Amino acid sequence: MITITLHHTLPRVFAQRTDICSDLWLQDVTLERGRLYLIEAASGTGKSSLCSFLIGYRKDYIGTIAFDGKDISQMRSHDWTLLRQRSLSTMFQELRLFPELTAWENVQIKNQLTSFKTDDDIAAWFEQLGIADKRDTRLGLMSFGQQQRVAMMRALCQPFDFLLADEPVSHLDADNSRVMGQLMMAEAQRQGAGVIVTSIGHHMDLPYDRILKL
Amino acid sequence: MSSHSFLIWRLLRQHISIAQFLGFFFANLLGMVIVLLSLQFYEDVIPAFSGDDSVMKNTYVIVSKKIAATDVLGGKAQTFTPDDISELQSQSFTRRVGAFTASQYQVYGSLSMGGIGMGTDMFFESVPDEFVDNKWPDAFAGDKADRLSLTTLDEVPIILPRSYLAIYNFGFAQTKNLPKLSEGVVSMVQLDLRLRGQGGEEHQLKGRVVGFSNRLNTVLVPQSFMQMSNATLNAPLGSAAPLNAQPSTLNAQRSTPAPTRLIVEVKNPADDAIATFMQDHGYELEDNSLEAGRATYFLKVVAAIVMAVGLLISALSFYILMLSIYLLVQKNAEKLQNLRLIGYSPSRISMPYQLLTVAMNALVLLLAFAIVFWARSIYLERLWQMFPTLSEGRVDNTLLLGFALFILVSFFNSLAIRRKIKYL
Repeated sequence: MITITLHHTLPRVFAQRTDICSDLWLQDVTLERGRLYLIEAASGTGKSSLCSFLIGYRKDYIGTIAFDGKDISQMRSHDWTLLRQRSLSTMFQELRLFPELTAWENVQIKNQLTSFKTDDDIAAWFEQLGIADKRDTRLGLMSFGQQQRVAMMRALCQPFDFLLADEPVSHLDADNSRVMGQLMMAEAQRQGAGVIVTSIGHHMDLPYDRILKL
Repeated sequence: MSSHSFLIWRLLRQHISIAQFLGFFFANLLGMVIVLLSLQFYEDVIPAFSGDDSVMKNTYVIVSKKIAATDVLGGKAQTFTPDDISELQSQSFTRRVGAFTASQYQVYGSLSMGGIGMGTDMFFESVPDEFVDNKWPDAFAGDKADRLSLTTLDEVPIILPRSYLAIYNFGFAQTKNLPKLSEGVVSMVQLDLRLRGQGGEEHQLKGRVVGFSNRLNTVLVPQSFMQMSNATLNAPLGSAAPLNAQPSTLNAQRSTPAPTRLIVEVKNPADDAIATFMQDHGYELEDNSLEAGRATYFLKVVAAIVMAVGLLISALSFYILMLSIYLLVQKNAEKLQNLRLIGYSPSRISMPYQLLTVAMNALVLLLAFAIVFWARSIYLERLWQMFPTLSEGRVDNTLLLGFALFILVSFFNSLAIRRKIKYL
C-alpha cells in the first residue's frame, strides 16, 4: 500500500455541522508511504473516529477513504484480515490488549500469527523499553504506561506499509516517550513504512513531515 | 495444538459455562440414543414379526378355499377356477398371483444315514419360480430347464417346511433315541426318491434339501421339474406361468387339474381389504401372515414415532448448544473483536468453538453407540429366548445414521458459529 487518500471525508455525526475547519475533514488529503505524519486533535474533533475508519472498524462516515485508490468501503472481511496482517499496523489508543495474558504472551499472540520477529528481537525490545522484568507479569497487573509499551511492541510484530499510532505516549514520561519513538521509527524506516501518529497535546518529539490539525 | 492456538484458546475459553454445555451434552446424548436405539431395535425385531424367511417374503400369502364338513360329503370342489384367479388378480391389494402345481404321480422318499433308514410316501408341489427368489440351482431355470429329463437328472432340489425338521428333532428323534439333525446336516444328505406314474412307469432319483421355510407348508420343487415330471409320468401338463400372464397360459391352465392353493403377493399385508375379500369369498389364508404383516406395520409406526421423538430431542439439544455458543460469543465479543483487529481471520477465531462443539458431538456419538450396543446385547438375549431362530439384524444402518447425524449437526454448528463471529 502506497497511499491513503481521504476525499471529502467526514464522520456522519458531524454531517449537520457547518463550522468544520480541519486539515483533514472535508479535504482532499493523501498520506504517503515512507513519510511521518502527526495528526493533532482537540477532544471531540473525531480522532478516534478517524482511526476506526482507517482500520475498518467503523464505516459511519461520508465521503471516501481509499487505499491506493481503492475505496475501502468495498473491502470484504477477508481483505481486511490480510491488510491488518501485512500492510496496516495499529497501536490503539485503548490498547486492545488481553489482560489475562502476560506481557510476553500479548506480543506473541500477534507475532505467532505473522512469524515476523524472533523471540530475541522481542526480548531486546523489552530491554530497550525498560520492562524486561515485567515479561511474565499478567498484563492486567501492569500500569497503563507499561501496557502502552507492550501495545507498541505488538504493533511492530508485523510487516506494514503504514503504522497508525493512536496517542502512543499519552501515559509516558519524556524519556520513555523518546525511547519508544526511536524504536517505532527504527522499525518503520527499516520497512520504509509511513507512520501516522495522533495526539491530543503531549506527543513524541519526532521530525514530522507534515502536521495536520483535525 | 500450536502455541498460538493455545493462547487463543486461553482467551476464548473464558466464560464457557460448564452447566450449559453439560445440559447440551446430555440432551444430545439422550436424543441420539433414542434415535439410534429405535432404529437398531426395529432392525433386530422386525424379522421376528414380519415372518420373513429366506424362501418366502412376508408379502406372500397362501390362499385356499375353506373346507367344511358338507363340502367333503358333497364332493364339492375346493379348487380355484380361472375366474376366481382373475378376480383375485384384479384386486387392488394384489401384486401377482401364482398357482400351486401338485405332482400327478406317487412319490416315495427314503433316507439312510449311519445305518438308520427311514422312508415315507410323500408328494411334491411347485410354485412359479419368481415366488422363490434364487433358491433353485441354475439347471432348473431359463433355457437349461427345457432340457431337463428324468433319466439324466442328477438331483432334485427340495425346500422343506422348517416344522418338519422340528417334528423330527423334538418328536421323533427324542423318543426313538435317534440323532438330532441340524439344517446343515440335512442339506448334506441325499434323499432316495422313487417316482411312480399313473401308468406304472417308475423312476429312481436323488434329492437334496436346499432350504427350509417357516411359512410354506409343503414339499417344494422347482416348477420346471414339476412340469417335466408330470409330463413324463403321463400326467396332464401343469400350469407354469403366473396367472397374470397371457391368455394362452390361462388356456393351458384349463387343461390341468385346477389348483387348490394359490400364492399371492400383496402390496401391503396390513391392508384390511385383504381380510375382507378373503372372508367374503370363503377363502382361507394358510398362516397368520396377515397378522404378522399388521404387527410389522404397527412396529414400523411405533419405531417411527419413537425416532421422531428422538430427533426432536436432538433438535432441541442443538438449539441449546447454539444458544450457549451465542451467549459465549457475546460474552467474549470484545476479545474476539480485538483478535480480528490485530489480524486474526473469522475462521481462525471460530475454530476453537467449532472444535469444541465437534469434539462434544463426537463424544456424544461414541457414547451413544456404546449405550445402544450395550442395550442391544441385553434385549437380544431376551429376544433369542423368545425367538431362537431369529438372526441378528443389521447394524450398519444404525452406524450410518449416527455418523450422518453427527456430520449434519457438526456442520450446522460450525456454520452458525462462523457466521455469528463474522458478523459480530
